[in-house]
Amino acid sequence: MPDLTAADFVIIGSGIIGSTVARKLAQAGASVLILEAGPRVTRAEIVARFRNSPRRSDWMSPYPPAPWAPHPIYQPQSNNYLVQAGPYPYEAEYVRQVGGTTWHWAAQAWRNVPNDFRIKSLYNVGADWPFGYDDLEPYYQEAEELMGVSGAPNTGSPRKKPFPMEPVAEPFAMRRIRERLASAYEVVTNTTARNSRTYDGRPACCGNNSCQPICPIDAQYHGGLAAYAAEAAGAKLIPDANVYRLDHDEQGRISAGLYYDPDKISHRVTGKTFIVAANGIESPRLLLLSASDKFPRGLANSSDMVGRNLMDHPSTSLTFDADEDLWLGRGPQSPSSIGLMRDGSFRAEHAPYRLDFTNISRVDSATSALIDQGVYGDEFARRLRYSAARELNVKNVLEILPDPNHRITLSDQKDAMGIPKPQTHYSIDDYTRRGHERSQQDFRRIAALLGGSNLRFSKEGSYANNQHICGTLSMGNDPKSSVCDQWARAHDHENLYLASTGVLPTCGTCNSTENGLAVAIRTVRHILSENKVGDAPAVPRAG
Amino acid sequence: MGGVGSYTELVPTLALNSRSYRSSVFPMPLNRGRYILKGRTGYRKVFAMNNGNSVLRASDVTRRRLLGSLLTAYTASLIPWALAQPVDDRDQGAFLAVSAIIAGRQALDAQLAKRLYDALIVDDMSFSSMARELLSLIDARKIEPLNLQKVLDAEKSPLAGIPRAVARAWFLGIVGSGVKARCIAYENALNATIVSDVLKPPTYAYGVYGSWTGKPV
Amino acid sequence: MSFNLGAKRLLFWTVMLAAGVSSIVIASAAENPDPSLIEKGRYLATAGDCVACHTAPGGKPMAGGLAVATPIGPIISTNITPSKTDGIGNYSLEDFSAAVRHGIRRDGQGLYPAMPYTSYTKITEDDVAALYAYFMHGVPAVDYKPAQTELPFPSNIRFAMRVWNWLFLDARPYTNDPSQSAEWNRGAYLTLGLAHCGACHTPRNILMAEKTSQLLAGADLGAWFAPNITSDRNSGVGAWKIEDLINYMRDGRARGIAQAAGPMAEAVDNSLQHVKEADLRAIATFLKSVPARHDSTDPKPPFEWGAAGGDLSTIRGAPIPADRDQWTGPQLYNAYCATCHQAQGQGSFDGGLPPLFHNTTLGRAHTANLVMVILDGVRRSPDVSMPGFSDELTDRQVATLANYLMQQFGNPAGSVTVEEVKTSRAGGPSGMWMIWMAKMAVGIALLLLISIIFVLLRPPTALDTRSA
Repeated sequence: MPDLTAADFVIIGSGIIGSTVARKLAQAGASVLILEAGPRVTRAEIVARFRNSPRRSDWMSPYPPAPWAPHPIYQPQSNNYLVQAGPYPYEAEYVRQVGGTTWHWAAQAWRNVPNDFRIKSLYNVGADWPFGYDDLEPYYQEAEELMGVSGAPNTGSPRKKPFPMEPVAEPFAMRRIRERLASAYEVVTNTTARNSRTYDGRPACCGNNSCQPICPIDAQYHGGLAAYAAEAAGAKLIPDANVYRLDHDEQGRISAGLYYDPDKISHRVTGKTFIVAANGIESPRLLLLSASDKFPRGLANSSDMVGRNLMDHPSTSLTFDADEDLWLGRGPQSPSSIGLMRDGSFRAEHAPYRLDFTNISRVDSATSALIDQGVYGDEFARRLRYSAARELNVKNVLEILPDPNHRITLSDQKDAMGIPKPQTHYSIDDYTRRGHERSQQDFRRIAALLGGSNLRFSKEGSYANNQHICGTLSMGNDPKSSVCDQWARAHDHENLYLASTGVLPTCGTCNSTENGLAVAIRTVRHILSENKVGDAPAVPRAG
Repeated sequence: MGGVGSYTELVPTLALNSRSYRSSVFPMPLNRGRYILKGRTGYRKVFAMNNGNSVLRASDVTRRRLLGSLLTAYTASLIPWALAQPVDDRDQGAFLAVSAIIAGRQALDAQLAKRLYDALIVDDMSFSSMARELLSLIDARKIEPLNLQKVLDAEKSPLAGIPRAVARAWFLGIVGSGVKARCIAYENALNATIVSDVLKPPTYAYGVYGSWTGKPV
Repeated sequence: MSFNLGAKRLLFWTVMLAAGVSSIVIASAAENPDPSLIEKGRYLATAGDCVACHTAPGGKPMAGGLAVATPIGPIISTNITPSKTDGIGNYSLEDFSAAVRHGIRRDGQGLYPAMPYTSYTKITEDDVAALYAYFMHGVPAVDYKPAQTELPFPSNIRFAMRVWNWLFLDARPYTNDPSQSAEWNRGAYLTLGLAHCGACHTPRNILMAEKTSQLLAGADLGAWFAPNITSDRNSGVGAWKIEDLINYMRDGRARGIAQAAGPMAEAVDNSLQHVKEADLRAIATFLKSVPARHDSTDPKPPFEWGAAGGDLSTIRGAPIPADRDQWTGPQLYNAYCATCHQAQGQGSFDGGLPPLFHNTTLGRAHTANLVMVILDGVRRSPDVSMPGFSDELTDRQVATLANYLMQQFGNPAGSVTVEEVKTSRAGGPSGMWMIWMAKMAVGIALLLLISIIFVLLRPPTALDTRSA
């Protein structure tokens, strides 16, 4: 144990949520230490790697995993880090580096709709949250102001204050979609952490159309910015610190975190309060890895719910050719969607969904398709331009219900540091499948309204994943059926909080980041009110 | 830009439109690639049309004739503009001829051609001889570019991988597959230049905020 | 407008007499002026860009507190709101006029020439009256006392400024040149007066006075360079069309020529974009007539250099070096510039993201502004925002990148060293700064000596233009 570091708060994970929690605690006067498993990486390197990538459609390709802190990679071949135990593959993608996975999100910063908090009461499916939309509303607002969120008011999530920014300018293709679907659907501009003007020193969007895997100009917020902000507020961030165990004292209070540096030298840090913010897979993994004689099932796991209720958003889609030139690829990637099926009494029967229109350039995908078809010569250019101009894609974003059988466990296999790998057990249940089936009607209708031809439905039974990892640290009022309370404090440990999309009890139909962030900000408010942080730090400031 | 010569002139190119894409057809007298042109297509990298000030060296003349000597009347008719493309040897000449046939009547970037060729032969020692075989096959059987892959696949030809590799190289800028895949061109890959009047390659800014709201011209 | 000392002295007395007489005439200015006079004053105050210096970042307009960096140390701007306690609420029109046009505060102390009164002295009496009406009635009073300017000895002897004025202040309102058009005269009046273009663009002598013989010939401005804007075709703006100059002043950019950054962007934002087009046209007309100052290192207009091009294909397929200082020019260009300025430096379709060739910033052998733009970025209202990379790039990376840009898109005669980047990052030529300090110390000591002699030989009131 070469060194010892101590802080009021030790936060494991420097992603958008962990870093924002760190920032707020540091701003309140606490000493804060962030341990990040992965390295620091700059935007410039990521941009350079993307342009150099032989797999541009593989958005993980600009994010090679650090050997000492691997994350799942599937192309060109799986690194088998996230072990698949079936029956349906759960090929989650996430990034272990300073700032975490929102380096490569599409900045979809949605609020749930109010009924998402009460689907058990209203529709007798899933679970209710321990609090309601109105409780979370001010924290949504705070999250939106921190990130710089732009949006339109007509997305089904009521608000007390206006968005920090006007909606991002609508790409021509999305305008035409909106106009042509108007008789049947209201197409809304997505709520995104994307600048429609200079915000917080970052520029407005310039339509680079690479929101995923990297916004090259920081026009969208990401965890890297959150980490910089945390450090600027006084938090100490240690990169390349792969936490493999949390220790506890006899009272069950967390007493220390142990991490490996890249040379696998172990370090120990102590703190008054620990906050695990290592995403919905690495967080339960860490809790399970920390099993002890006193807590043989792992920390926070008297309920046996750690790692269970794994949820994400499966998607199926339709690709077709419109009857006019729309040229996807001008402007941001994911600008518009339809919220009609996000809520309704049908939720008793089948999954709700959002319908999402992509604006990702079709050039690379169409090129690959044409090469596969052996289209060479003059015809190639003609066909490529046709596809690039005409192809549209609409996908559903399906809710999946919490199911204890969908879970993250520890694998028998070990990673390069000798730590057991995470393992998933996952499937697509009938509720979600029925949602998919219902959405096919919408797909066909949308295609018809746009004069669609050459309809290509995604392969039946195949669901794309959206990397919105939820549920594995679920919050609830009953310690027997949930991991943490409504403040995200572990039921079993007085000084252990969880800050992650993993705490979300259900996943709704929108991207999880803002929900997880708002809940975490609510947690910080609670911690500050309980601890009176800043009055008398009992532990000397770290660093 | 070692060895490329001057590339500072702005020369208008044929306009492309979205309905009927017509490739630029240029005679190719010299080994001088130039970065040029802003027409309605934006900037594209093509061969210089000519270089009136240059005196052809004997070796250039020889190199120019080489490609022509590899082609028959049929293949020459497919790629008349490429006939005078100078090449270093017969293998590279075959690659260029196959490239021109597969890429269509595109003007090809000489520097990029060299880099793609070098990358392709690193992956597959037999690539150059197979490219020559393929060219002979196209010559002998007068195979249309659009039928080429179908014919090779149907016959389970050992040459079937060659057009795909060449197409991936030129259209996507990618050589090799799986863990050996690497990016040799991104913004100059033909699939980017073919649409460069309307789209920017991802990561490149479309324009100032909101510039994407209008109808693409 | 160059005078020898004798002429200066003659001028000095003439001005004193004139000021004395005029103060009697205008002392009876109306208490409640005509609203149109206030509006006129507001416009003139905007054209004069008073707010730029007299507002601290985040502070109330005109309440002062901005530390203006000068070679002799920070000069803190004063509160010029009509606050009776902290501002100029007790100023009469003549007090106001003396301060604005002659650099003399109400308490009789001399202002430092960071206040461009050597330009404002050209302002006509009518315009001063309008400005006074605006500052008294159009600006909300703010009771806020900015910190005092504390310059090191001998610069802290404000009395020396009187002598400085005596030497360098050509205290006459602008008079029309009947041989020129009304537009030209309006342009000259604005350029030399309110808009105080020379404050930045005219080089200064060792006592910080503008060298009238090198009017608008270009000058260092901290780490930035305020370029030559004389009529010289290659070194100045002679090759710009009138419309280009108008566009530049109004929009902060002239397509295919130049963009305003740094202090000029502030001048556009705070002032020039609000100036009426007719006045901008007048300024442009005048600038095109300013005697050419040619620099032999400028063989063609800066915006005629360069062409689309680049080597991005050559870096594909190779990993970027782990040691950031080993990144090549194309690698740096790829990672930091190409995103907006595009693969071949050609800018966006509509030119809204500007091309790097045919771009004045890269067309001058003087590379200070290129380095500063890389470090600090470009910010202009309403929403122009090129990020600066000072936090991301090392000095060596900036030098490598700047040299690549100059070779690829600009004037290949320009080059940047690591040391120059370091200097720019630190806020300007620090070596120069030390030399300035030394010169200023000597110069001001000299002024003091002259002052003492002057005081001994003349009645003390003679230096007070207001008390005559």
